[in-house]
Amino acid sequence: MILFFREIVRNVKSFTVWTVILVLSNIGMMAMYPTFATQAGSYNELMKKFPKEILQGLSMDKLNLGQILDYFAYVFLYIILFGAVYAMILASSIISKEENEKTIEFLMAKPVTRNSIVTAKALCVLIYLVVFNLIFVITDYFLFEAFKKVDYSMNIFLLMHFGFFSIQMTFAAMGLLISVFIVKAKSIYPISFGVVLGAFFINIIAAISNKLENFKYLSPFKYVNPADLVKNGKIETVYLVLMVFVIIVSVALTYIFYNRKNITV
Amino acid sequence: MSIIEIRNLTKYYGKSRGVVDVSLDIIEGEIFGFIGPNGAGKSTTIRTLLAFIYPTSGSASIFGMDCISEHARIKRDIGYLPAEVNYYDDMKVKDLLHYSSKFYNKDCSRRINELAEIFELDLGRKIDQLSFGNKKKVSVIQALIHEPKLLILDEPTGGLDPLMQNNFFEVLREENKKGTTIFFSSHILSEVQKVCDRVAIIKEGRILKVEDIEKLRSTKYKKVKLEFKNEDSIVDINLPGIVDSNVKNRHMEFLYSGQIDEMIKKLAEKEIENMWIEEPSLEEIFMHYYGSGSKA
Repeated sequence: MILFFREIVRNVKSFTVWTVILVLSNIGMMAMYPTFATQAGSYNELMKKFPKEILQGLSMDKLNLGQILDYFAYVFLYIILFGAVYAMILASSIISKEENEKTIEFLMAKPVTRNSIVTAKALCVLIYLVVFNLIFVITDYFLFEAFKKVDYSMNIFLLMHFGFFSIQMTFAAMGLLISVFIVKAKSIYPISFGVVLGAFFINIIAAISNKLENFKYLSPFKYVNPADLVKNGKIETVYLVLMVFVIIVSVALTYIFYNRKNITV
Repeated sequence: MSIIEIRNLTKYYGKSRGVVDVSLDIIEGEIFGFIGPNGAGKSTTIRTLLAFIYPTSGSASIFGMDCISEHARIKRDIGYLPAEVNYYDDMKVKDLLHYSSKFYNKDCSRRINELAEIFELDLGRKIDQLSFGNKKKVSVIQALIHEPKLLILDEPTGGLDPLMQNNFFEVLREENKKGTTIFFSSHILSEVQKVCDRVAIIKEGRILKVEDIEKLRSTKYKKVKLEFKNEDSIVDINLPGIVDSNVKNRHMEFLYSGQIDEMIKKLAEKEIENMWIEEPSLEEIFMHYYGSGSKA
């Protein structure tokens, strides 16, 4: 518990910065909705002039920007992208930081097991992601209530936020695992960015190209694509299973490999 | 009773050698020196004792418990001072020391203040603004606050000025009197001689010898370097106790284990321009002491 509280304190600054910036972006983009809504017809016309591939890639071909959920799905994709980056950076640095800054020699000399180190840090990531998502659900609820023209489906609203949480969890779990092997800050940050952005572009490519359609299984962004959720009203079971699988396996492997690791600093 | 038992410990990092077939027993209540040049395997041994790394073969136990499987229990009673000092950059000295003491479920405030006074350390400073020597003090205090039964010190005096080193040795002796066993790793023979009861010498990953410090002390080698006025005067210095003599131009170097007084009197007859008497390096002592067989 000592280590857990220590991690909560240590990561509060970066958590605050990421949350404030993303929540403000979210508010800013939603604040433009009333304008879109009144001119929805002309925007939809305008959208039709975009190349079909681009609209498909971003799943915007299915959206009617006059509807608040559809509009939200459009802006939320970018919030999800950066939220995933945050989740992965948080998770991938929380264990590796001790080794990168060589403080692990201090920590490992204390009466703590390696399992308890991983548990405390993973738990800290979990708590921060839960709080992060609660803040989003609550903010978005009030934004929706303030800006809506007609009623919207609460189920789909919650489903999109659940999707956000699960994609963050997926990237966070992968981040934990990667950081057992790569501890240098100058490597771990680019890798975290690379994995998330790579997954994002795989999602776009899979949507555009028929040949590469099966690539969609490689990208969590496809699993919880807000536009798909608005259209289908659910997250496909296969995607849910994949995410749960990735999370469980990554976390389990993190424990196993961290226990076996020779820690030399 | 043995506090530390190391049995045939071998550690390879891939193909590169860490330590080979190391066996040691450290007895309760003693100050045990662990000495060898850089890269000899001192830190590798210590890191295995603390379960940072896992042995390739062999085993070690502390307080009768296996170092790997029971490391967390063992560490309740260990104070460890690492060779390199690295702490969290967002902490003040007192934050770190209180954070450290929480892991032992003890209130160590009194001890923290005592030690801060002895080492003249300002508890309110941020750690990353401290000089290397002051960081080392934090590390020393951190190892001592929970009153461990076993202290493991890896090159503890680096960065401490001579005055602080004396305070440090004073604290070690006090702790030792209270019953604390101390495992003291160093590459400086003189500081090991100052405090230790026994010493193990490690070189290229293997233990060369475990020796009582008294015995090492009786071989008081000094390294003497002389610069003569001219080459002729060099020839006829022969005194019992001179070994490994080496002459080059007007310079002469040797290890001397006899009476200094006798040597000075003898040298007074010569025309000498310059003279150095130094502590021999470990290498030099060992080369002579162990390299040339069983003369000692």
